[in-house]
Order: sequence, then C-alpha cells, then structure tokens
Amino acid sequence: MSAPTLNLEGMPGRLAEVRPEQGQIPGFVFSDPEIYRLEQDAIFGKCWLFVAHESEIPSPGDYVTRSMGEHPVIVARDEDGRIRVLLNVCRHRGMRICRVDLGNSSHFRCPYHGFTYKNTGELIGIPFQNEIYGSDLDKSRFGLVPARSESYAGLVFATWDERAEPLRDYLGPMAWYLDLLVGRAEMDVIGPPMRHEMAANWKLPAENFASDAYHTLHTHASAAEIGLTPSAKWAKDGFHISAGHGHGVMVGAPAARFIFAEELLPQFARRLSPEQMTVLRQMAHMPGTVFPNLSFLISAVTLKGRFVSHTELFQWQPLGPDRIEEHTWFLVERDAPSDWKELSRQAFVLTFGPSGVLSQDDTENFTNITRNTRGAVAGRLSFLYEMGRGGRPMTGFAGPGEVYEGKYNEANARAFYRRWLNLLHAAA
Amino acid sequence: MPVSEQVREEVLEFLYREAEAVDAGRFEEWLDLMTDDVQYRMPVRLTRERGEAPDRSDQMQFFWDDRQTLELRVRRLRTDFAWAEDPPSRTRHFVSNVRIAPGPQADELNVRSYVLIYRNRGDVAGYELISGERHDVLRKARGGWRLARREFIVDQAMLGVMNLGIFV
Repeated sequence: MSAPTLNLEGMPGRLAEVRPEQGQIPGFVFSDPEIYRLEQDAIFGKCWLFVAHESEIPSPGDYVTRSMGEHPVIVARDEDGRIRVLLNVCRHRGMRICRVDLGNSSHFRCPYHGFTYKNTGELIGIPFQNEIYGSDLDKSRFGLVPARSESYAGLVFATWDERAEPLRDYLGPMAWYLDLLVGRAEMDVIGPPMRHEMAANWKLPAENFASDAYHTLHTHASAAEIGLTPSAKWAKDGFHISAGHGHGVMVGAPAARFIFAEELLPQFARRLSPEQMTVLRQMAHMPGTVFPNLSFLISAVTLKGRFVSHTELFQWQPLGPDRIEEHTWFLVERDAPSDWKELSRQAFVLTFGPSGVLSQDDTENFTNITRNTRGAVAGRLSFLYEMGRGGRPMTGFAGPGEVYEGKYNEANARAFYRRWLNLLHAAA
Repeated sequence: MPVSEQVREEVLEFLYREAEAVDAGRFEEWLDLMTDDVQYRMPVRLTRERGEAPDRSDQMQFFWDDRQTLELRVRRLRTDFAWAEDPPSRTRHFVSNVRIAPGPQADELNVRSYVLIYRNRGDVAGYELISGERHDVLRKARGGWRLARREFIVDQAMLGVMNLGIFV
C-alpha cells in the first residue's frame, strides 16, 4: 500500500475527514462527483467484480452482457468451455459489439463496419481487409480487450488489474461464507436478473448489506406486522463478521427451525465442512457484501403457512455519484423439491425484487440519503458509525473472520470504508 | 368474434374503475375487483436479437402474485411502516387501446390494453413512467366483472423506477 498522499487538488483534506476507525464518515462520499471519478479507477478498475453465475451460461457459445463499473462486458463461454470476459467495445471505432442481454453465438460482429470477433475475443474478420489495410495488418493486435477472470463456487468475477491477487486471496475469509451461500448445493440462477435504476450512491446499499442489521428494526417493521417475519427485532441476534478486505457478512442465529429443504441435508453435508454445517444448521438468515458492490442474502419467511428460505445476489452498478443500476439474481438449489423451489421464488419476488415489500423501503432510504448529502452542510456532516466501536471480537465461532456477537454493530461498515479509503489513497 | 357494445361498455367501465381505485389509494376496493384465484404477473423483459424469442421471461417476474400475496401487499400499505409509499406516490394509470375477445372459459374475456403509469413522489418535479401492455382475463363473478389474470408486459428491460411499490 503506497503512502496516503493524494495529488488531486482539495482531495487530501477532504479524505482526511473520512475516519473509519473513529466511526466518522462524512456525507460527501455519497454524492461528490470527484469522489465518484476517483472510485472508477481506484475501486472499479482494481477490484475483482462479479459478472455472472456459471449457471447463466452453461453451454459453449452462451453469453450474457454485463458491466464492470461503467465498462460494458460480454461474459461468454467459448467453444472449449472456458469463460471469457471481454470489453464490449470494438477495437476499430469503439462501437458496442453485442447489444443484447443474452444469447448463444460463436462470434460477435460489430454493426458499424462489420469487424468480427470470435467469442474468445480474437479478431477474425475485417471486410475488405487486404484491399484497405494491405496484407500486413496484424489482426492479433486488435482482439477484444479481455478482463482477467476467475470463478469461486460458481460465481464468476473479473478484474481489469493484471497484477491483482488471485480471486481466492481477494475473497479471504469471505470465501468460507460464499460456500454457505452458493456452494452448499448445486445452485441455479433462475431466469434473468431483475434490473432497475435508482437515484442512489452505490456505497449505501453495499454498506447496508455488509453491516446494517439495525435498520431492519424500523425500516422493515412492516414485514413483522404482516406476519412475514416473527417480530421487528428478528434480525438482532446472531453474528456480525468482518470477513477481511472490506467484505462483511452477518449470520442471523439461532434459527427457530432449519431454513433450507430438509431433503438436501445429505448434499449440504457432502459439500460443506463440519464447521460450515454447524453454522448452516443454526442460520436464520445471512446478508453480506463482497467488496465493492456484490451483495447477497439468504432470508426466510413464512408464506402461505409454510416456512421457506430464498437466496439472491444483488449488484450495485455505478452510473454516476447519484445513480445505480440494481441487478438482482434469484438462485435455488437444483435438487430441491419443485414445490419448495416455486415457493422460494415467490417469497423472493414478494420480499426482495423491485416489488419486494422489504427492498422497497430500502430504496426510499438510499435515494433520500444520496440527495441529502449533495448540500455542503450535510456533505461535511460526519455521520455516526460508532456502533460496537471498541468491542472485542469473540472466540469460538465456527467460521473465520473477526466475529462479533450480536448483529447490531457497525464494525463491517467501518471495515468497508477502511478498505475503500486505502484503495483511493493507493491510486493517488 | 366481436363482443357486444354492452360488454365493451362494461369492460371499459371496469378498467377505468380499477385505475381510479389504485390511483386514489382505495386498495381494498381494488382487491375486491379480483377473483379469488387471480394471477397477477409482470415478466422480466429482455433485449434480444429480432426473431430470437422470447423477449420476456416466464422464469422471473417482477410480480408473482396471487390473491394471498396481493392482500399481504395491501395490508402492508396499511401499516405505519410502509415507507416506500408513505407519504404516497401520486400516480395516474392511463388505459387505452382496449381490445376485447372471448376468453378461455365461457364466462371469461381476454382483454388487452395499453397502459401508461405516471408516478411522482415528494417535492421533486421529476417523475417515473411505466409503459406496458396488459394481457388480462376478466371473469363474471360476484355480480360483475372481476380480474382473474393479469400479465403486464413492461416496455423496459431496465426499469426506470426506484421500486415497484405501486400496482400495474
């Protein structure tokens, strides 16, 4: 990590107001255009970013189009089955080569001048190449720009940083919890992700999923009133876990009963360690964020007299200091009973898609905070991130990371902004 | 087979009454316009190459509701904690291009319409628009027409709304 000096005019003083360990995060980090501009290189140009789940592109030729920060990418499975992440920008004039959400193709042809690329990124065709460029144009120099890509537990990540540490190292202790999330069984993404835009800064939802169990008490009080959750303080008990490198996860516990399909217990036990099984058995729910912008949730509700859990991924794609696209994927165990799968999907749509009765109220918070912090006075305000400060991690929890007993804590938010600050400093 | 003027008049009246009930926040009255076995759906729309069907997903839908879950949504709106819609959005459901055909059952009609939904919140001048086509099935029940099925085909793959705290 390089010394914390920044050349950008006015920025060093302002970043000095960000004091994660003191629990002080100033409002301007949620709305300042200069901060946003810095983040695009320092965060989204350096970190491992989620791009797809392997089940979305199961066969050779399958592809989906996604974003890495503000960069459009194609995530394709090539004819050898290898997953490629390619900048969706033609090397000739910058045109978007693939303009659809998904499909199957061995190659992509640019609509502008007809440059044609294999799904490995290799440039294979230029109309009238010899006549217009002569015979010595080296097409191998003009392939689609690849991002480095690696997978963990079916989650495909990519980075623009050639020197980035391996994905497994980047994930650190968080990998253990991703096993619980999507490694516990063969998981399938069902259908396409839901997508919508929202006038919010990307860090607000990322921080919320990493760290904020406290908001459930009031923001989501309606869920208890209509009987989806047992009480407004349903998310208070459990463990608050700083999972390294700015990643944060919370395990609600104890569960009143097992939240997954009982039929799958043998499969879970085969794929998870005994320690992981201990946590899976007591889990009531599990929200978290993989730094910077992939959040996730396992939650359980009572719906139609049945108790069912649902698993989803959320990504907060930055479009500007005050704008994000939210992408939400629903996942389910491939071998769960079909009626269980159906109820799980319905529980997800009812609670956490754009129409979700819990996620709706979150968007009200995220958009209002973003708008509020544009003003100079609120921008200079230091918000209160002190909950659990000075508390000591517990010992004896089965999983890794810095573990705090009780979910109402803000240690994960402090760790998130420490990581964020280090990356901004390192880039300057 | 065209339907009678009388039926056409009743269907239009139904659609306008429904729009008025949701825009006025009379959600219990709105629920009363549904059959007990109502299916209320809104498939995720996709951008695909022309001819590469389908351009919407039957696997993932923004609404996947029935009578029970719609009642839950309305009950929630009546709690003191439904922040996304309290204070409420100002909405206006504009319904047009209504086409009516015989339905799957003798007492049912297939009703298609175009819908433009305007939504404005708080003290901002900006607004959200949702455009789409409804594929409805209306059934004669409890002395009048009732909504037995709605599929709302939204005209965006990336929704331009902060949430779907309103009905379509």
